Amino acid sequence: MLLKDVSRKPLLWLAAALCMAFAGLAQAAGSPASVEHARIRWLPGDLPLAGYFDLTNTGPRPLTLTGASSTVFGDVMMHRTVHRGGETGMVPVHDLQVRPGQTLHFTPDGYHLMLMGRTRTLAKGDAVPIRLTFSGGRSMDVMFAVRGADMQ
Amino acid sequence: MSLRNPVARTRIFLAAAFCAFAALLSGCSQDKTWDLDNITGIVSPLAFSLTDDTGRHVTAETYRGRIVMLYFGYTHCPDVCPTTLATLSQALSKLGAAADKVRILFVTVDPQRDTPPLLKRYTEAFGPEFIGLRTDDPALRQLAKRYRVTYSLGKPDAHGNYEATHSSAVFIFDGKGKARLMAESSSSAAAIAHDVQQLIGGA
Repeated sequence: MLLKDVSRKPLLWLAAALCMAFAGLAQAAGSPASVEHARIRWLPGDLPLAGYFDLTNTGPRPLTLTGASSTVFGDVMMHRTVHRGGETGMVPVHDLQVRPGQTLHFTPDGYHLMLMGRTRTLAKGDAVPIRLTFSGGRSMDVMFAVRGADMQ
Repeated sequence: MSLRNPVARTRIFLAAAFCAFAALLSGCSQDKTWDLDNITGIVSPLAFSLTDDTGRHVTAETYRGRIVMLYFGYTHCPDVCPTTLATLSQALSKLGAAADKVRILFVTVDPQRDTPPLLKRYTEAFGPEFIGLRTDDPALRQLAKRYRVTYSLGKPDAHGNYEATHSSAVFIFDGKGKARLMAESSSSAAAIAHDVQQLIGGA
Protein backbone atom coordinates (compact mmCIF):
# COMPACT_ATOMS: atom_id res chain seq x y z
CA MET A 1 0.00 0.00 0.00
CA LEU A 2 2.69 2.36 1.01
CA LEU A 3 4.68 1.71 -2.16
CA LYS A 4 1.54 2.11 -4.28
CA ASP A 5 0.69 5.42 -2.64
CA VAL A 6 4.14 6.78 -3.25
CA SER A 7 4.07 5.70 -6.88
CA ARG A 8 0.61 7.25 -7.40
CA LYS A 9 1.42 10.60 -5.90
CA PRO A 10 3.33 12.02 -8.88
CA LEU A 11 0.45 10.96 -11.12
CA LEU A 12 -2.03 12.67 -8.83
CA TRP A 13 0.03 15.83 -8.86
CA LEU A 14 0.27 15.69 -12.63
CA ALA A 15 -3.50 15.22 -12.91
CA ALA A 16 -4.09 18.14 -10.54
CA ALA A 17 -1.67 20.32 -12.50
CA LEU A 18 -3.40 19.43 -15.78
CA CYS A 19 -6.81 20.20 -14.29
CA MET A 20 -5.57 23.58 -13.10
CA ALA A 21 -4.03 24.33 -16.46
CA PHE A 22 -7.29 23.50 -18.26
CA ALA A 23 -9.27 25.53 -15.73
CA GLY A 24 -6.97 28.46 -16.41
CA LEU A 25 -7.42 28.16 -20.15
CA ALA A 26 -11.20 27.92 -19.78
CA GLN A 27 -11.26 31.06 -17.71
CA ALA A 28 -9.16 32.91 -20.26
CA ALA A 29 -11.43 31.75 -23.09
CA GLY A 30 -14.61 32.72 -21.19
CA SER A 31 -13.55 36.24 -20.23
CA PRO A 32 -10.86 37.64 -22.49
CA ALA A 33 -10.14 40.53 -20.17
CA SER A 34 -8.51 41.16 -16.84
CA VAL A 35 -9.12 44.00 -14.42
CA GLU A 36 -6.64 45.37 -11.91
CA HIS A 37 -6.60 48.21 -9.35
CA ALA A 38 -10.41 48.38 -9.16
CA ARG A 39 -11.12 51.06 -6.56
CA ILE A 40 -13.65 53.67 -5.50
CA ARG A 41 -12.88 56.96 -3.79
CA TRP A 42 -15.14 57.30 -0.75
CA LEU A 43 -16.98 60.57 -0.14
CA PRO A 44 -19.54 61.25 2.61
CA GLY A 45 -23.32 60.99 2.46
CA ASP A 46 -24.76 60.14 -0.91
CA LEU A 47 -22.35 62.22 -2.98
CA PRO A 48 -21.54 60.74 -6.39
CA LEU A 49 -18.38 58.62 -6.27
CA ALA A 50 -15.76 57.79 -8.88
CA GLY A 51 -14.66 54.25 -9.72
CA TYR A 52 -11.27 53.55 -11.28
CA PHE A 53 -9.65 50.42 -12.77
CA ASP A 54 -7.25 49.12 -15.39
CA LEU A 55 -8.86 46.87 -18.00
CA THR A 56 -6.59 44.72 -20.16
CA ASN A 57 -7.85 42.94 -23.26
CA THR A 58 -6.23 39.49 -22.95
CA GLY A 59 -8.21 38.04 -25.87
CA PRO A 60 -7.42 37.91 -29.57
CA ARG A 61 -10.17 40.29 -30.70
CA PRO A 62 -10.99 43.95 -29.96
CA LEU A 63 -13.15 44.43 -26.89
CA THR A 64 -15.71 47.22 -26.51
CA LEU A 65 -16.65 48.40 -23.03
CA THR A 66 -20.21 49.71 -23.25
CA GLY A 67 -21.07 50.48 -19.63
CA ALA A 68 -21.31 49.32 -16.05
CA SER A 69 -23.94 48.64 -13.40
CA SER A 70 -24.06 47.72 -9.73
CA THR A 71 -26.61 46.63 -7.15
CA VAL A 72 -24.96 49.08 -4.74
CA PHE A 73 -25.68 52.13 -6.93
CA GLY A 74 -28.88 53.31 -8.59
CA ASP A 75 -26.97 54.68 -11.55
CA VAL A 76 -23.52 54.05 -13.02
CA MET A 77 -22.20 56.14 -15.90
CA MET A 78 -18.94 56.24 -17.80
CA HIS A 79 -17.47 59.73 -17.77
CA ARG A 80 -14.32 61.51 -18.73
CA THR A 81 -12.95 64.65 -17.09
CA VAL A 82 -11.91 67.22 -19.66
CA HIS A 83 -9.95 70.44 -19.32
CA ARG A 84 -10.64 73.29 -21.73
CA GLY A 85 -8.95 76.65 -21.38
CA GLY A 86 -8.50 76.40 -17.62
CA GLU A 87 -12.02 75.10 -17.11
CA THR A 88 -12.82 71.57 -16.06
CA GLY A 89 -15.93 69.51 -16.64
CA MET A 90 -17.16 66.01 -17.40
CA VAL A 91 -18.40 64.49 -20.62
CA PRO A 92 -20.32 61.20 -20.93
CA VAL A 93 -18.56 58.30 -22.62
CA HIS A 94 -20.62 55.70 -24.51
CA ASP A 95 -18.25 52.98 -25.56
CA LEU A 96 -14.54 52.43 -25.50
CA GLN A 97 -12.69 49.98 -27.69
CA VAL A 98 -9.70 48.11 -26.27
CA ARG A 99 -7.40 46.44 -28.77
CA PRO A 100 -5.91 42.98 -28.01
CA GLY A 101 -3.09 43.39 -25.49
CA GLN A 102 -4.04 47.01 -24.77
CA THR A 103 -4.86 48.31 -21.27
CA LEU A 104 -7.55 50.93 -20.76
CA HIS A 105 -6.95 53.09 -17.69
CA PHE A 106 -9.84 54.55 -15.74
CA THR A 107 -7.81 56.88 -13.58
CA PRO A 108 -8.24 60.07 -11.48
CA ASP A 109 -8.61 63.19 -13.65
CA GLY A 110 -9.53 61.09 -16.68
CA TYR A 111 -11.95 58.27 -17.45
CA HIS A 112 -14.04 57.24 -14.45
CA LEU A 113 -17.23 55.45 -13.51
CA MET A 114 -19.62 57.94 -11.94
CA LEU A 115 -21.47 56.03 -9.22
CA MET A 116 -24.70 57.63 -8.03
CA GLY A 117 -27.49 56.79 -5.60
CA ARG A 118 -26.00 54.43 -3.00
CA THR A 119 -28.37 51.63 -2.03
CA ARG A 120 -26.43 51.08 1.19
CA THR A 121 -23.96 53.04 3.30
CA LEU A 122 -20.35 52.58 2.32
CA ALA A 123 -17.16 52.88 4.34
CA LYS A 124 -13.46 52.73 3.62
CA GLY A 125 -12.42 49.08 3.38
CA ASP A 126 -15.71 47.84 1.89
CA ALA A 127 -15.78 45.82 -1.34
CA VAL A 128 -18.41 46.70 -3.93
CA PRO A 129 -19.41 44.52 -6.91
CA ILE A 130 -19.66 46.29 -10.26
CA ARG A 131 -20.55 44.60 -13.54
CA LEU A 132 -18.68 45.83 -16.59
CA THR A 133 -20.61 45.21 -19.80
CA PHE A 134 -19.16 44.70 -23.25
CA SER A 135 -20.58 44.66 -26.75
CA GLY A 136 -21.86 41.26 -27.82
CA GLY A 137 -23.74 40.79 -24.54
CA ARG A 138 -20.69 39.86 -22.53
CA SER A 139 -20.09 41.08 -19.00
CA MET A 140 -17.58 40.78 -16.19
CA ASP A 141 -18.17 41.12 -12.44
CA VAL A 142 -15.43 42.99 -10.61
CA MET A 143 -15.00 43.74 -6.90
CA PHE A 144 -14.01 47.37 -6.27
CA ALA A 145 -12.24 48.32 -3.04
CA VAL A 146 -13.59 51.41 -1.28
CA ARG A 147 -10.61 53.62 -0.44
CA GLY A 148 -10.32 56.85 1.56
CA ALA A 149 -11.19 60.27 0.13
CA ASP A 150 -7.49 61.15 0.05
CA MET A 151 -6.40 58.15 -2.06
CA GLN A 152 -4.32 58.88 -5.14
CA MET B 1 49.47 60.23 1.68
CA SER B 2 49.11 63.88 0.68
CA LEU B 3 46.70 64.50 3.58
CA ARG B 4 49.55 63.94 5.95
CA ASN B 5 51.28 66.85 4.31
CA PRO B 6 50.30 69.99 6.30
CA VAL B 7 50.50 72.23 3.23
CA ALA B 8 48.16 70.04 1.21
CA ARG B 9 45.78 69.81 4.17
CA THR B 10 45.61 73.60 4.46
CA ARG B 11 44.98 73.90 0.72
CA ILE B 12 42.12 71.42 0.88
CA PHE B 13 40.65 73.26 3.84
CA LEU B 14 40.84 76.59 2.02
CA ALA B 15 39.30 75.12 -1.11
CA ALA B 16 36.46 73.62 0.91
CA ALA B 17 35.88 76.90 2.72
CA PHE B 18 35.84 78.78 -0.59
CA CYS B 19 33.32 76.33 -2.06
CA ALA B 20 31.04 76.68 0.96
CA PHE B 21 31.27 80.49 0.75
CA ALA B 22 30.56 80.48 -2.99
CA ALA B 23 27.58 78.18 -2.47
CA LEU B 24 26.25 80.52 0.21
CA LEU B 25 26.66 83.55 -2.05
CA SER B 26 25.00 81.93 -5.03
CA GLY B 27 22.18 80.71 -2.79
CA CYS B 28 21.55 84.26 -1.61
CA SER B 29 21.74 85.95 -4.97
CA GLN B 30 19.83 83.36 -7.01
CA ASP B 31 16.11 83.70 -7.54
CA LYS B 32 13.99 81.15 -5.75
CA THR B 33 12.97 78.47 -8.11
CA TRP B 34 9.40 77.27 -8.08
CA ASP B 35 8.00 74.01 -9.37
CA LEU B 36 4.53 75.54 -9.77
CA ASP B 37 3.53 78.57 -11.87
CA ASN B 38 4.68 81.83 -10.30
CA ILE B 39 1.72 84.25 -10.29
CA THR B 40 3.29 86.92 -8.08
CA GLY B 41 1.99 90.31 -9.19
CA ILE B 42 -0.43 88.77 -11.69
CA VAL B 43 -3.32 87.60 -9.53
CA SER B 44 -5.19 89.78 -7.00
CA PRO B 45 -4.37 89.44 -3.29
CA LEU B 46 -6.59 87.29 -1.09
CA ALA B 47 -9.83 89.13 -0.28
CA PHE B 48 -13.27 87.67 0.39
CA SER B 49 -16.23 87.68 2.71
CA LEU B 50 -17.75 84.19 2.97
CA THR B 51 -19.43 81.72 5.34
CA ASP B 52 -17.34 78.77 6.48
CA ASP B 53 -18.51 75.17 6.96
CA THR B 54 -19.40 75.83 10.61
CA GLY B 55 -21.63 78.77 9.61
CA ARG B 56 -19.11 81.37 10.75
CA HIS B 57 -18.49 84.56 8.75
CA VAL B 58 -14.87 84.64 7.57
CA THR B 59 -12.66 86.98 5.57
CA ALA B 60 -9.10 86.82 4.24
CA GLU B 61 -8.00 88.32 7.59
CA THR B 62 -9.19 85.16 9.35
CA TYR B 63 -6.38 83.22 7.65
CA ARG B 64 -3.66 85.91 7.75
CA GLY B 65 -0.31 84.43 8.75
CA ARG B 66 -1.06 81.12 7.05
CA ILE B 67 -0.36 79.88 3.55
CA VAL B 68 -3.76 79.72 1.85
CA MET B 69 -4.68 77.50 -1.09
CA LEU B 70 -7.89 78.62 -2.79
CA TYR B 71 -9.86 76.22 -4.98
CA PHE B 72 -13.28 76.53 -6.60
CA GLY B 73 -15.25 73.28 -6.87
CA TYR B 74 -18.39 71.46 -5.70
CA THR B 75 -19.01 68.37 -3.60
CA HIS B 76 -21.08 66.52 -6.22
CA CYS B 77 -17.99 66.47 -8.47
CA PRO B 78 -16.84 62.83 -8.28
CA ASP B 79 -13.48 62.97 -10.03
CA VAL B 80 -11.42 66.13 -10.47
CA CYS B 81 -12.36 67.94 -7.21
CA PRO B 82 -11.57 65.05 -4.82
CA THR B 83 -8.52 64.16 -6.94
CA THR B 84 -7.18 67.72 -6.57
CA LEU B 85 -7.98 67.81 -2.83
CA ALA B 86 -6.34 64.38 -2.36
CA THR B 87 -3.17 65.70 -4.03
CA LEU B 88 -3.20 68.73 -1.71
CA SER B 89 -3.74 66.38 1.25
CA GLN B 90 -0.70 64.34 0.18
CA ALA B 91 1.35 67.52 -0.16
CA LEU B 92 0.40 68.46 3.42
CA SER B 93 1.45 65.00 4.64
CA LYS B 94 4.89 65.65 3.18
CA LEU B 95 5.11 68.90 5.18
CA GLY B 96 4.65 67.12 8.51
CA ALA B 97 3.96 69.48 11.44
CA ALA B 98 4.36 72.52 9.12
CA ALA B 99 1.03 71.54 7.52
CA ASP B 100 -0.65 73.46 10.33
CA LYS B 101 0.68 76.66 8.73
CA VAL B 102 -1.51 75.94 5.68
CA ARG B 103 -5.26 76.21 5.10
CA ILE B 104 -7.03 74.88 2.03
CA LEU B 105 -10.15 76.89 1.25
CA PHE B 106 -12.65 75.03 -0.91
CA VAL B 107 -15.13 77.58 -2.30
CA THR B 108 -18.24 75.88 -3.64
CA VAL B 109 -19.63 76.98 -7.00
CA ASP B 110 -22.82 75.05 -6.08
CA PRO B 111 -24.05 76.81 -2.90
CA GLN B 112 -27.58 75.49 -3.40
CA ARG B 113 -26.60 71.86 -2.70
CA ASP B 114 -23.44 72.54 -0.71
CA THR B 115 -24.84 73.47 2.68
CA PRO B 116 -22.37 74.19 5.51
CA PRO B 117 -22.97 70.73 7.13
CA LEU B 118 -22.32 68.90 3.82
CA LEU B 119 -19.22 71.04 3.16
CA LYS B 120 -17.97 70.21 6.65
CA ARG B 121 -18.35 66.45 6.18
CA TYR B 122 -16.75 66.71 2.75
CA THR B 123 -13.71 68.78 3.72
CA GLU B 124 -13.14 66.74 6.92
CA ALA B 125 -12.62 63.67 4.75
CA PHE B 126 -9.42 65.28 3.40
CA GLY B 127 -7.95 66.63 6.63
CA PRO B 128 -8.26 69.24 9.38
CA GLU B 129 -6.59 71.92 7.21
CA PHE B 130 -9.46 71.82 4.68
CA ILE B 131 -12.28 74.35 5.07
CA GLY B 132 -15.42 74.63 2.96
CA LEU B 133 -16.60 78.15 2.12
CA ARG B 134 -19.78 79.38 0.48
CA THR B 135 -21.70 82.45 -0.50
CA ASP B 136 -24.71 83.20 -2.63
CA ASP B 137 -24.66 83.87 -6.30
CA PRO B 138 -23.89 87.59 -6.78
CA ALA B 139 -21.00 87.50 -4.29
CA LEU B 140 -19.72 84.24 -5.77
CA ARG B 141 -19.72 85.77 -9.26
CA GLN B 142 -17.71 88.72 -7.95
CA LEU B 143 -15.20 86.46 -6.21
CA ALA B 144 -14.77 84.32 -9.33
CA LYS B 145 -14.26 87.48 -11.38
CA ARG B 146 -11.57 88.68 -8.95
CA TYR B 147 -9.57 85.48 -9.63
CA ARG B 148 -10.56 85.40 -13.33
CA VAL B 149 -12.16 81.99 -13.03
CA THR B 150 -15.45 80.91 -14.54
CA TYR B 151 -18.02 78.35 -13.53
CA SER B 152 -21.40 77.21 -14.75
CA LEU B 153 -24.07 74.82 -13.55
CA GLY B 154 -25.56 72.32 -15.97
CA LYS B 155 -29.25 71.58 -16.51
CA PRO B 156 -30.76 69.16 -13.96
CA ASP B 157 -31.65 65.67 -15.22
CA ALA B 158 -34.90 63.79 -14.43
CA HIS B 159 -33.64 63.11 -10.89
CA GLY B 160 -32.63 66.73 -10.30
CA ASN B 161 -28.93 65.91 -10.59
CA TYR B 162 -26.70 68.34 -12.38
CA GLU B 163 -23.03 68.86 -13.00
CA ALA B 164 -20.88 71.96 -13.05
CA THR B 165 -17.85 73.22 -14.86
CA HIS B 166 -15.28 75.13 -12.83
CA SER B 167 -11.67 76.25 -12.82
CA SER B 168 -8.94 73.66 -12.33
CA ALA B 169 -6.63 76.24 -10.70
CA VAL B 170 -5.46 76.18 -7.09
CA PHE B 171 -4.28 79.68 -6.12
CA ILE B 172 -1.64 79.77 -3.40
CA PHE B 173 -1.24 82.87 -1.22
CA ASP B 174 1.52 83.66 1.26
CA GLY B 175 0.96 84.59 4.92
CA LYS B 176 0.37 88.21 3.93
CA GLY B 177 -2.38 87.28 1.49
CA LYS B 178 -0.28 87.94 -1.61
CA ALA B 179 -0.95 85.62 -4.59
CA ARG B 180 2.24 83.69 -5.28
CA LEU B 181 1.72 80.39 -7.08
CA MET B 182 -0.80 78.40 -9.05
CA ALA B 183 -1.21 74.62 -9.00
CA GLU B 184 -3.58 72.49 -11.10
CA SER B 185 -5.17 69.06 -10.85
CA SER B 186 -2.15 67.66 -12.71
CA SER B 187 0.42 69.17 -10.31
CA SER B 188 2.27 66.62 -8.17
CA ALA B 189 2.08 66.52 -4.38
CA ALA B 190 5.90 66.71 -4.32
CA ALA B 191 5.94 69.95 -6.35
CA ILE B 192 3.25 71.53 -4.18
CA ALA B 193 4.99 70.46 -0.94
CA HIS B 194 8.33 71.79 -2.21
CA ASP B 195 6.95 75.21 -3.07
CA VAL B 196 4.76 75.56 0.01
CA GLN B 197 7.76 74.65 2.17
CA GLN B 198 9.64 77.53 0.55
CA LEU B 199 6.74 79.90 1.20
CA ILE B 200 6.60 78.81 4.85
CA GLY B 201 10.34 79.49 5.03
CA GLY B 202 9.64 83.11 4.03
CA ALA B 203 10.47 82.87 0.32
